[in-house]
Amino acid sequence: MSEPLRAGADTRDLRAGSFSRIMNTAGAYGIAVLFLALGALLQATGAIGNFLSAKNMLNIVDAAALVGIVAVGMAFVTYSGNFADMSAPTTMGFTGYICIELLRYGFVVAIVGALAVGLVIGLLNGFVVGRFKANPIIWTLAVNYMTLGIIRLVWVNKQIYPDMQGSSAPVVALFDSLYRLRFFNLIGLPLVILLVLVIIGQFVLARTSFGAKLKMTGSSPRAAKLSGIAVERAVMISFILAAGTATIAGLAVTSLARVGAWYNGAGYDFKAVTAIVIGGMTLAGGRGTILGVLGGSLIIAILNNIMTLIGINTFSQDMVRGAIFILVVGFNALSLRRLGRDDA
Amino acid sequence: MSGSASGQALEMRHVSKRFPGTIAVDDVSFEVQAGEVHALVGENGAGKSTLMKMLAGSYDDYTGEIAIGGRVALLHSPTLAKRYGIGMIYQELSLARPISITENLLAGRLPRRGPFLDKPRARAQALELLASVGLDLDPNLPIEDISQHEAQLVEIAKVLGSSPSILVMDEPTSALSREEVERLFAIIGDLKRRGIAIVYISHHLSEIFRIADRVTVMRDGKKIATRPIQEVSREEIVQMMVGRSVKEFYRRDERLIGDVRLRVRGLSRFGFFHGVTFEARRGETVGICGLSGAGRTELAKVLTGLDRADEGSIELDGKPVRGSTMAAFLEQGISYLTEDRKTEGLAVRLTVDDNILSAIVDRLSSAAVFSKARGRPAVDRLIGELSIYPPDPSRTVGNLSGGNQQKVLLAKWLATEPKVLILDEPTRGVDIGAKMTIHDSIEKLARAGCTVLLISSDLPELVGLSDRVMIMRKGHFIREMPYSECSEESLLLAANGDTGHGTGAS
Repeated sequence: MSEPLRAGADTRDLRAGSFSRIMNTAGAYGIAVLFLALGALLQATGAIGNFLSAKNMLNIVDAAALVGIVAVGMAFVTYSGNFADMSAPTTMGFTGYICIELLRYGFVVAIVGALAVGLVIGLLNGFVVGRFKANPIIWTLAVNYMTLGIIRLVWVNKQIYPDMQGSSAPVVALFDSLYRLRFFNLIGLPLVILLVLVIIGQFVLARTSFGAKLKMTGSSPRAAKLSGIAVERAVMISFILAAGTATIAGLAVTSLARVGAWYNGAGYDFKAVTAIVIGGMTLAGGRGTILGVLGGSLIIAILNNIMTLIGINTFSQDMVRGAIFILVVGFNALSLRRLGRDDA
Repeated sequence: MSGSASGQALEMRHVSKRFPGTIAVDDVSFEVQAGEVHALVGENGAGKSTLMKMLAGSYDDYTGEIAIGGRVALLHSPTLAKRYGIGMIYQELSLARPISITENLLAGRLPRRGPFLDKPRARAQALELLASVGLDLDPNLPIEDISQHEAQLVEIAKVLGSSPSILVMDEPTSALSREEVERLFAIIGDLKRRGIAIVYISHHLSEIFRIADRVTVMRDGKKIATRPIQEVSREEIVQMMVGRSVKEFYRRDERLIGDVRLRVRGLSRFGFFHGVTFEARRGETVGICGLSGAGRTELAKVLTGLDRADEGSIELDGKPVRGSTMAAFLEQGISYLTEDRKTEGLAVRLTVDDNILSAIVDRLSSAAVFSKARGRPAVDRLIGELSIYPPDPSRTVGNLSGGNQQKVLLAKWLATEPKVLILDEPTRGVDIGAKMTIHDSIEKLARAGCTVLLISSDLPELVGLSDRVMIMRKGHFIREMPYSECSEESLLLAANGDTGHGTGAS
């Protein structure tokens, strides 16, 4: 009886649809190149100027760095099957305030203090979503507004500026130079941070036991739990990572703007989610790569740049981004549904 | 009721349905007469479900002809199928859990008086439908407040409410206890007398011999044969299903039963099971038999660290089991194959190897770095041993047939190299080929010294594999039966509380 019986025909053997195949890691970079070509074309027709200039390319890369830093951390939340961390915008803003307030106690205190506050937000999100199975979108959205409330309460609705003249002037100058620091007069610090985060993130997701458990958790939380995986812990760590990178991006934006403001992180939630999804990570969880998310961030940055050069105002830009998001998610869901697996 | 003069309620002529790359149903002709129960059997992937979905109106691109009551019908949408009088009863419930039985039963056709709901009439209609399936429930209860088996009968009542002339039942007994199966058979008998044509899909051949008038066997998308049930034997059907001669028997090797491995004393989870005490030895397979609701799965969940016991102790190799999480129990050698492979067992969107390795991620990691390559030999070995088809570790599990998914689930727990393996319905809803492979594997595991606790509603399986069977009833172990005394009949009697041969409750 040990001789295998002939197995029944596998009638459900259907390959992935062409769209899912395009949307894999390599695909994101392909689309990025397409958008670059579009920009070049627009420049050739005279619709926009200077798209291909070195300075503009640098602009794109810098913008991609900020979106990318937020997206790399948030991608873990998406991968864990919890869609997105909508508290990213005020996490970015709030930690900026904290940093500026703490600058008077020294540079390290300010950075560590801001990171600590960010991680507390992540811990809170992770605990509530992981343990109590709260709806991640609703919960993190609520945290976003709660944090906004705290900012408005504590700083009475004011922006705050680092004190450039006082005794802590050198520290402030150091913080101020963070965003502007350029290696070889070219590569900004945020880009370096992004690349380091991408390498670490990709390794963690693809090669560590945490990554393997997160994959199982994101694909089927119930089956993961019944495989002895500490699902709550995995979800919690994902939210902490998301809050951590949001804080780093928040500090970069604060250094860039030289101001602590509640709106410092505005729009980064949706930009990051769009980057993640275009990068080939499905909202259903358990599928995608961090390298793809990097590609997605580049696409978002190029798109924004082109739209700004054409002279499309920010509101219309939001509309375009929203439309693209719907297209990507929609096509993805459609191609999966056609396979009889409506899981996006 | 659109009963036809010729008696041919449903006729499918040369129907085919293609999917990209495969033909799921290949030139099948099939007819059912009014008042007939026509059984449809075949292994998973044979095309039964596709044929059934065709009747349900799920496809608008099948080829061939379907005639209902003698007239050609285009079943291109579920609404059309319903209009032609086809009622579907699926394995999975299609009831909305938070709303009342009445609203579920009468969904889409609630009686009205003017713009308002006619409550008294709705209640009367609901009660009538419930009575037709022998249920005595308050129709105002929401579905989530009634049991799984009651819900299954409500589902049947709901379909009957649309007065179908053709009824398709897909494994309608899978969630029912023995008594309820009897009740269902009585209902089916009644429906036959009312002239309803019934297509009955089941893996349980014994059921088919009980109630079917004719049986059609499918294999690889093709119809193999249609036979009157009196003219065919169980062995013949099995042979037609698997395509070669198979004797459904359980070979018993001499077992080497060793020292006590698992010792459970006075284990209780209040409200579910009480004072459970037993021992299981190395190389021993202990069956746990009971009707649904007897507390078998609840016991398994405590034995594997998923739920906490309220009192009692669990010892493994003479030492109390440490920790209180499933991960801790797993680490010490207790593994648990869950009942529901799709939601609790497997991540169907992941690949075969990801699933097989999912319970041993930590063992394959050093310093938090996970090495899938290290698990590769185990994956290859298990795919071979269990003849998982296709033998490709990078396949998405959701694309495999049910039997092969179940083999992947077993492989996942074999990969943990357990000392104690608890199997909860290890072969539910799988085809005979997969079932035999799984049984073989369990035998082999026991021979290698593993202690197996086998929870199953499949009595031949319990009788065939167990060295002894513990009978569980209403949360208590009421009796233990050695292999020599086990038979389908004796287990059934004992599980129903009939102490039969005189041994009382322990």
